[in-house]
Parts: sequence; structure tokens; C-alpha cells
Amino acid sequence: MSVTPAIETAAPAVPLKVRLGGWGTGLMLLAVWLLLIVATGLYRQDFLSHQTLLAVTFTMAVVGVLAIGQGLVAISGGFIDLSQPANMILASLVAVRLSEAGMPLAVVIVGAILSGMLWGALNAAIVVFARLNPVIVTLATNFIGLAVLFLVFQLAEVPLNSEIYQFGRASFLGLPAIFWPMLALVLIVGLLMPRTRYGRRAIAVGGNKAAAKARGISLKLTRFAIFTIAGGFVGFASVLFAATAGPFNPGSANTLQLNIIAGVILAGISLAGGRGNFWMLLLSVGFLSTIPTSLVFFGLSSDTQSIFQGFILIIAVAIDGWRARKGTP
Amino acid sequence: MLRNTTRAFAVMALSVPAVLGLGGIAEAQDKFKLGMAVGGNTCCEWMKAQGDVARALAEKEGWDYVELSNNNDPATALKNAQIFVQEGAKAVIQFNGQAASNPAISAVMKQAGIPIVTYDIADPGMYFVGIDNLAAGIAGGEGLGKIVKEKWDCNPDLVVSAEGAGAGIVNEWRTGGMRTGLGNICPDIPKEKYVSFESQGDAAVGLPAARDLLAAHPDAKKIAVVGLNDGGVLALINAAEQLGRADDVIGWGQDGAFITGDNVNPHLVGSVFYFLEGYAVYAIRDVIKPIAEGKIPPLKADAGDPASKVQPCPVTAEQAKAVPDMAERVKQLLAAPAGTTEYDLFCPNKG
Repeated sequence: MSVTPAIETAAPAVPLKVRLGGWGTGLMLLAVWLLLIVATGLYRQDFLSHQTLLAVTFTMAVVGVLAIGQGLVAISGGFIDLSQPANMILASLVAVRLSEAGMPLAVVIVGAILSGMLWGALNAAIVVFARLNPVIVTLATNFIGLAVLFLVFQLAEVPLNSEIYQFGRASFLGLPAIFWPMLALVLIVGLLMPRTRYGRRAIAVGGNKAAAKARGISLKLTRFAIFTIAGGFVGFASVLFAATAGPFNPGSANTLQLNIIAGVILAGISLAGGRGNFWMLLLSVGFLSTIPTSLVFFGLSSDTQSIFQGFILIIAVAIDGWRARKGTP
Repeated sequence: MLRNTTRAFAVMALSVPAVLGLGGIAEAQDKFKLGMAVGGNTCCEWMKAQGDVARALAEKEGWDYVELSNNNDPATALKNAQIFVQEGAKAVIQFNGQAASNPAISAVMKQAGIPIVTYDIADPGMYFVGIDNLAAGIAGGEGLGKIVKEKWDCNPDLVVSAEGAGAGIVNEWRTGGMRTGLGNICPDIPKEKYVSFESQGDAAVGLPAARDLLAAHPDAKKIAVVGLNDGGVLALINAAEQLGRADDVIGWGQDGAFITGDNVNPHLVGSVFYFLEGYAVYAIRDVIKPIAEGKIPPLKADAGDPASKVQPCPVTAEQAKAVPDMAERVKQLLAAPAGTTEYDLFCPNKG
């Protein structure tokens, strides 16, 4: 009888990250999200209902589109755009004024996107041409923007029964109508970023400036374009926000910021730039949007979500730093 | 000789503005100066309007007026109190939604000998001008109760409270008062039907939490909503619309912010007007003007025995159609004889 040593028959050890082909972040997120859903569903079976699905997907819609914009800034090495709240409120105000003027939804959307892009271009001009720190610049433009907005208006709301109001309450295939554009945008951006010249340029600029420059990529133009396009996504998110929020004021978007940044980091989009998969935003934003709903089913106030989000953000930043040190995707 | 003449002329010339300046200072010191600290919470347009009305009334009286914003922040509110002292204000009015700093503000003002009026949130060292929030809550709750009784025979599936914990005791008085008022009309609603969510008094901010609450009560159809203010109540109404459950939702708010104009949500069936933007009429008429005239009124700091009492005005949505929007109300208020309140001018349900 011969005994074959186990060491001879065992498959060669393959690092987990190689076996998962870079999808480890996604699988981890999916597992944690499913765990949350199963745990809440076991605690209260009515959690697994269409109403819960609606509540979560409504929340995902606005946060998801904002996270695309934030992700674009991050992946291109811009770190974080802290002026998203002011940009979104400005674009929402544009959407309200256009809908008050009786403009069709398409015009409202275009107007809001242009407003967002203009804001993004303003940030870009300061960051790129004055060579200032984007975090400080966007923090400052957010302060300035909110203060000016407060001088301009205190409350705004799209007219009841306007097209945009109906859009905010419509559903398609059992999910909110505002959810589908977010889904489409995440899928498209996730598809295009690594597969198009412009997408790869953005990632290259964020990953290694010197190498990107050596390849003839204009750092200034790329950054300018990214900030402007990211502003456009904020502009579109503002349409979804204005369609659903009801009356809003200049401070109404401030609470979204933490969720968006957490969503981007959890999705594995590096704040240092150069790495990230936008499809993961669906999982990270979905997970983060499910937490407050689950808390309510567990009998806790959804107000306590900030505690969980804070911890998750710390863990996500720690993982991001660990990834950067290890050079893992 | 010529040089000395020139010097003398120069000294005289330079003295003129100095003398004029001293005269100006003396005049400014004689002039009554009113300080106003507005709440500075971006949630509500009446906060800014409170300052606008106070400024207009102070100018009518010929007083100097200094306005600062508390930025809805206790530390800023305290700093503002110190600035009013440095500015030489003779009296101060404040709305401080973050009341934690009130005792410190009170101490600063007491040390400087400056009387201070507080709106709606009482402090032992300040003249109280404001509404009886509990009475306003109960009045609103009873208004909603009548509709719940008529529509659902006092048998709703759920009674939702849109809380705003940041407002502290005011939230407890208003939102709790509304539950009490509803209970006065419909005493047999079981306790387990009363649920609440944190709206932060803001329709947009409270919306996700409102959706979550509705998702956690999927079988509830007949839903009555009360809350700290109209904004919080609207958060739940909007959430119900988005989840396809608004058919049987009725809400009654507080503050009247969203019950006037041509964009009123049909599920908001009533509110309680305080006409917050016009509080300065009460403060100036009953406290500040007597002080300016040297007749300092006794300190009445208790909400139950206030220096000046603002009357709540509960209205149904139908009745509110006769009430102009805030900008128009302010315009008419400032054109009215001194001391006339918005309650006198606009409340369709005068008690």
C-alpha cells in the first residue's frame, strides 16, 4: 500500500485575488449585502417585500448617480469633489425653475446637466489652471455656493403634476422610474472606462501622472474634462433629486455626502486614483442604501445609520489604504 | 510766520472731521440700538424673514439695527451674544433653535445689563415671546382628529409622527401635543398604531427615513401624519406617493410653511399658522419699545406666562386658501398700523 503524500497531489496554491480575477471586492460586497438582507429577512419576513425594494431603490437612484461623478473625480486622481451638495442644489434649482416655466422634461434634464457641467468646469478651472488642491478648492466652492444659494432662495419645489413630478413617482417594471437611468449609467460608465481611449486616459492620469505625461496625455485637459463630466452627472442626479425630494432648501443635500464617499470607497475606486470598477458601485450603493431600511425593521431609528456609515467609512478607507500599499485591485 | 499760519490752518482743517466724527459718535451712542440674532437654519424661509421684519420695524422706530445669524449652531449663538455686547446693543432679540447655549447667552447679557428676548424656546433669563407650542400641537391634533373621525371613524391603520429631535422640547410639545390632540378626538386608537421617524423637520432630508418607515409597515393603508412642522409631514406624504400608498394618507402640519400658495400637496389637509416671520411685532410692541422708552417691563421668562403670547391659528387646507403667502403677508404686515399682528390680519379662525 502506498501512501501518496498530500503535498504531491495538492493543487498549487493560487492567490485568492488571482482566482477571483479582481472581482474579490464585488464578491465580498455581495456577500455582506446578502448577509444583511438574510439577517433582516429572518428577523422580520415582511422585509422581503416589494415595498422594501422600492424604498431601497429610490435611495439608490440619487446616491448612485452622484457616486459615478465622485468616482470619476477619484479615479482620475482628483481625490474627492466636496462641492457636490452645492452643485446638486444649484442644478436642482435650475430644474425647478425650468419646470415652473412649463418646459418639457427633456429640457429640464438638459438644463440641469448643463448647470452641473458648468459648476464642474468652474472647479476644474481653479484646480487645473491655478494648480490648487482639489479637496480644498471644492470644499471652498461648496461653502461659497451654499452661501450664495441661501441668498438666492430658501425653498424650492417642482410644481405638483409637472412632468418631472410625475417622473419622480412613476415606476417601470416594478421599480422606480428614476432607478433605471442610474442603473444604465453605472453599467455604461463601468463598460466604457476601461475600454475606451478617454476612459483609459482618465485612469492613467490618476494612476501615474508621469507615465501618462510620457504617453502624451494632457493632464490638464483630461482633469478639466473629468471634473466637467463629473459635474454633469451631479446635474443629472439633481433631476432625480428634484423629482422626488419635495420642497428642498440649500442645505438639503448635505447629508448625502457621507454615503456617496463611502459608496465610492467601498466599491474599490481608489481615492489615490488609477484603480476602480464602476460596476461595483451598484453593490456598494445598494448595500449602503439597505442599511437604514434594515435598521428600521430591527426597530432602530434610521437616524442611527450615521453610526454604521461612519464605521463602514473607516473600514473602507482602511481597506483602500491596504490595497494601495499592496498594489492589489 | 507763514509756516505757523499754515500749521494752524491745517490743524483746524483736520479738526473738523474729528469734531464731526465725535458728534456722530455721541449721536450714535444716544440712538437706541437693537440686536437681532436670526436662527440661521437653512430649513425654513421664515428664519430669514424674522430678521427682515425686525429690521423694517426697527427702522420705522428710527433705531439702529444689527443683525447676526446663529447659523443654527450653539457656539455661534454665544459668540453673537458677545458681539452684540461689543456693538453696544441696548436690547437683543434672538431665535436660537439650538437652545444648549441659552444659559451662557443669558449670563453674558445679564453681565452686560442688556435685556434679551427669546422666541419660542424659553430661558429663565430671557423675555419669552412666542407660541404655546403644546397648545398649538393639541389644536393641530384635534383638527386632524376631526378629519380622521369623519373619514375613518377614528380607526386609522397607522399614526405617524414626523419628529425633529434637534428642536428638543419644542418637538416634544408640538409633535406630542398633536398626538394628544388626536387622542382627544379619537381616544381609542391603540398605542401600537403610533409610530415615528426622524424627519429633521425637512421634507427632503426626512424622505428616505419616511420611505423606510412605510416599508416596515407594508399593510398600513389609512395613515394619519402629524409632525414638528409641515416639512416633516410632507416627507411622509411624498414617501407614500413614491411607494404607491398615498390614496389614504392625510397629514396635518405645524408652522403653515407649505399650506399656502398654488403648490399645496392635496394630502396635507391642515396646519397651524404661527406666522413666525411676524414675531418681531410682538417683541417690539410688548418688550423692546417699552425698554427704548425707559419703561423696562418685568422679566417674564416662562412660556406659560410670557412677555408676549403669540396665538396659534389652526386651519384646514381649504381655509388656508384665503391666507396669502409669506412674502405678501410680510408686505401687508409692514403696511399695517404699529402693533398689528399677522394673527389679527390673516387668521381665518380667530378664537
